[in-house]
Amino acid sequence: MKPPLFLFRHVTKRFGDRVLLNIDQFAVSEGVCALISGENGAGKTTLLKIVSGLIKPDSAKVHVKEVEMSWAKARARIQRNVVYLHQDPYMLDTSVERNVAYGLRLHKEPRASIYEKVADALRWARLDHLAHRNARSLSGGEKQRVALTRARIVNPSVLALDEPTTNMDQQSRISTYQLIDELRNEGMAILVASHDQTGFTPIADHHTQLVGGKLIEVETAVRRSRGTKITRFPG
Amino acid sequence: MESLTDASFRALSLLVSGDAELWAIISISFGVSLQAILYTTPVALLTAYALAHFEFPGRRTLVSLFHTLLAVPAVVVGLTLYLILSRSGPFGDLKLLFTQTAMVLGQMVLSFPILVAMGHSALQSADQRVWETAHTLGATPLRAMFTVMHEVRYGLFAAVIAAFGRIIAEVGCSMMVGGNILNYTRNITTAIALETSKGQFAQGIALGIVLLVLALVLNYSLSTLRHRLAMQA
Repeated sequence: MKPPLFLFRHVTKRFGDRVLLNIDQFAVSEGVCALISGENGAGKTTLLKIVSGLIKPDSAKVHVKEVEMSWAKARARIQRNVVYLHQDPYMLDTSVERNVAYGLRLHKEPRASIYEKVADALRWARLDHLAHRNARSLSGGEKQRVALTRARIVNPSVLALDEPTTNMDQQSRISTYQLIDELRNEGMAILVASHDQTGFTPIADHHTQLVGGKLIEVETAVRRSRGTKITRFPG
Repeated sequence: MESLTDASFRALSLLVSGDAELWAIISISFGVSLQAILYTTPVALLTAYALAHFEFPGRRTLVSLFHTLLAVPAVVVGLTLYLILSRSGPFGDLKLLFTQTAMVLGQMVLSFPILVAMGHSALQSADQRVWETAHTLGATPLRAMFTVMHEVRYGLFAAVIAAFGRIIAEVGCSMMVGGNILNYTRNITTAIALETSKGQFAQGIALGIVLLVLALVLNYSLSTLRHRLAMQA
């Protein structure tokens, strides 16, 4: 069994006097989809942002591929490997195509290669017909797909999704489940914080619940062999 | 003393005929103010970003200070610079008094708080998700800063336009540290003051027309940007 990509131990985060997170252990493993559920304000977003390196925990021990390192060092590794997607993804005030190309331009890829990859990625997400539209004019479901494509194109090891199907109609939800399942089958580790437990049950390998700042194992989904495509998603 | 109608006709004829002296004054005005804006904007916007993005002791005091400096009179800046640059002042040896460089310095001091205060407001209104999105997609802190600035660009342009409008129309500082020397430090506002004191209104009116047209263009640009900002919100 492969070691986890990232292992977070003894993670604590306080806001004022309130201890929001007090987690013993949380592992992020390649090709595994972990569902985190919990009440509003339970700390799901904070946990995902810590795992994505966007928020510094008050204390944590981070193991990157079994090597323990300081938060500062681990944070740089995390930033290179984890992409966090907001519940309501932020669309840069430009076209869908340029939004998707943003991450590649940061990595200084040649212009010709960028637009080739962007065109492929947009076809993958069935967004090619929207390439030249301003991304802000899209519907919630389309924005979520643009955000997923924008994340996938930088080829992260881990994708942290915060309530990815909230406020979506049934068709958009199904499209999002399919894209996430494909990404997981490509070997990406997927972390999903969601209320939508029914929709993610067929995809999730692990389901934990955040209660009183602690993670509680809810169930372990039937482990499917890698590459098994799920064709039916609950609406 | 000529009548207002005669003076106005002569003013238009000076503008249309391309009067060398008049256009030299206009060119000095724009040259000095554009240089001041060009040099001040990067530093001011970096300061505004630091004030909007980082938590540090004294941050709120600094923001209040910049808002207070918005109201500083141009003559006070002129007087302070005059004392610093005059022969007996600490920088008298640089011999900058009554030069365009001194005028640029004065206008930089005047524009800095406007750019910082308005830039800070624009950057503070930026969605926190912009920085997080840029960071998570692999942006360095510097690149993330440029992304945030790009997303609030209309607010930042508005700050630059407002600051430019303020410094090109100021008279006190330019008069004190520039000295109103023809073809060297005489700009639109100091020329208007001089010509009016001499009772020669034609050139003053012509220069006044230039300032009014400029004010119209700047205000139109500002309202267009505000409209775009409202659409963006």
